[in-house]
Amino acid sequence: MRERITVYLGGVVVLGLAMVPFVPGAPDSYLFYFLFLFFLHTAIAQSWNLVAGFTGQISLGQHAFFGLGAYTTALIWQRQLFGESYGYYFDPLVLILSGLVAGIFALMVGFPLLAKLRGDYFALGTLGFGEIIRVAFVKGGQFTGGPFGIIMPSSVYETLRPHYWVGLALAGGLTYMIHRIRRSHFGLALISVRDDELAASSHGIDILKYKLIAFALGAVFTGIAGSLYGHYLFHVSPDGFLNLNWTLYPILMAVIGGSGTVLGPVVGAFAMTAVFTLASVSYPEIHPIFSGAVIILVMLFMPNGIMRLAKR
Amino acid sequence: MWQFLSLGLLAELTVNGILFGAMYGVAAVGLSLIFGTMRIIFIAQGTIIILGAYLVYWLFTLGGIDPYLSLLLVVPAAFIAGAGVYQALFRKAAAISDKNTSLLIAVGLMFLVQNTMSYAWTPNPKSIVTGYTALGVEILNMRLSFTRLMSMVIAFAATGAVVVFLRRTLVGKAVRAASENMQAAMLMGIDPHRVNAIAFAIGFALAGAAGVALATTYPFDPYFGFVFALKALIALALGGIGNVVGALVGGLALGLIESYSAFFISGGWADAISYGVFLLVLMFRPEGLFVRSIKKA
Repeated sequence: MRERITVYLGGVVVLGLAMVPFVPGAPDSYLFYFLFLFFLHTAIAQSWNLVAGFTGQISLGQHAFFGLGAYTTALIWQRQLFGESYGYYFDPLVLILSGLVAGIFALMVGFPLLAKLRGDYFALGTLGFGEIIRVAFVKGGQFTGGPFGIIMPSSVYETLRPHYWVGLALAGGLTYMIHRIRRSHFGLALISVRDDELAASSHGIDILKYKLIAFALGAVFTGIAGSLYGHYLFHVSPDGFLNLNWTLYPILMAVIGGSGTVLGPVVGAFAMTAVFTLASVSYPEIHPIFSGAVIILVMLFMPNGIMRLAKR
Repeated sequence: MWQFLSLGLLAELTVNGILFGAMYGVAAVGLSLIFGTMRIIFIAQGTIIILGAYLVYWLFTLGGIDPYLSLLLVVPAAFIAGAGVYQALFRKAAAISDKNTSLLIAVGLMFLVQNTMSYAWTPNPKSIVTGYTALGVEILNMRLSFTRLMSMVIAFAATGAVVVFLRRTLVGKAVRAASENMQAAMLMGIDPHRVNAIAFAIGFALAGAAGVALATTYPFDPYFGFVFALKALIALALGGIGNVVGALVGGLALGLIESYSAFFISGGWADAISYGVFLLVLMFRPEGLFVRSIKKA
């Protein structure tokens, strides 16, 4: 019962947030940009949560998927793959394709890695994969624009509204999906793989299949988030998108909020986006120092995340 | 480029690879020790090395203390700092079975230290120039830089000291026992916090030594530490995680791989090749390249 109330409440909050862009003056405020960042961070934190929090496979290669999504959008747009008159800006097909490309890469890399590596070794393997992708894009020459990257026509930009809505839909949809998954056959299979692989496989669960699906799903949503951020910056570059921060941020947010819970990554994303924003507004030069200190303090005093603290 | 290839050049590439790889090795030995007892990859190790390098830099620039003489100051200071960092930050997290907590504290520490350094001392690269920086030593028709040679000597001596400590002293044996099996070691009366603190103290002391080696040979900046830690991680995987001598050898191997691939393929791809080798080793030889047989499953 309590859970159902939480879902309804969540629905109301999402609806309320969806109305915010209609408030006069809102789309130009800093708060609006803050909310957009919060949605983006929630989406990548939830993606990581699905792979690591629920399935127990710690991925350190999320920045590769984020970058692959953004680069797919940039490449399709730059090359006008669907003809010149096609509207590439916030085209659903482009967004979905960006996610799919990241997902296909995840399947190709995930299959050997997940079949062969466990625990720490899998984490290190994904880190290696992420760095290879980064170097490949830096050295990609004409095709990827090298270290400079690809510029998209920013003349189409009018307001931050579409970014806001797509971000909200992505974050809200993903959170709802994880809520639904958790109690489903699929979700229980994921959790059983996390808790005890041997026991799971002895009960007829194909561990590799479930790990692979979770890993690919996480990559698809991270890729869409990457594409969305590309729509905001209009400049996709290795430094901006294939940066290891895009792996560290979701982990931080998910763990601080409570990984393996449905709302933990949302809470963590909100808290960390607030910390980053406040620090970068008030003390831009010491913002990363402050963020580092916050990470240490949170881990020292609530190692299981904010959500689990509330439950106790 | 093949037309330039000669035996002399090949030898030079090899020597340069080994000299640089020795530094990866020393960083990897520190990672290996901390991983042994704590079971976490201490990702801030590279940043601590940079901190050590800064310490050497300031001792030299402000105090006029010779970089090699400062080993006597930096290494003990780092040793104490390591034990202190463990007690202050990792003691509580070490007791939790979920290793993410310790890992994230290490990430936080890395953020904190590298950005504090960047804020306090600017992100511009620093380097030490002494009377002997340009000095060369002639060995077998090759001119070797004296400081790089010294760095290798420091790396080997530091690793040797750690090996002797682990094999010969009672405390060292306790650290080894804890790395093999913490549960059993605790049943034998070994205090887990004590061995963890010692692993951290030695890990930091090694970082201090590596800092001296780095500061005298290459320019460094605050953000170089993370790349260094990643390289140390690759060295660790090549040598077999939890194997101290293997970590040093893994570092040398990585140095060679980078040196050769930078020459034969191209500088920019060298990183991707080291990560590729890293992936292949993880998948096909997870016990490391230099272990003859797996002792236990």
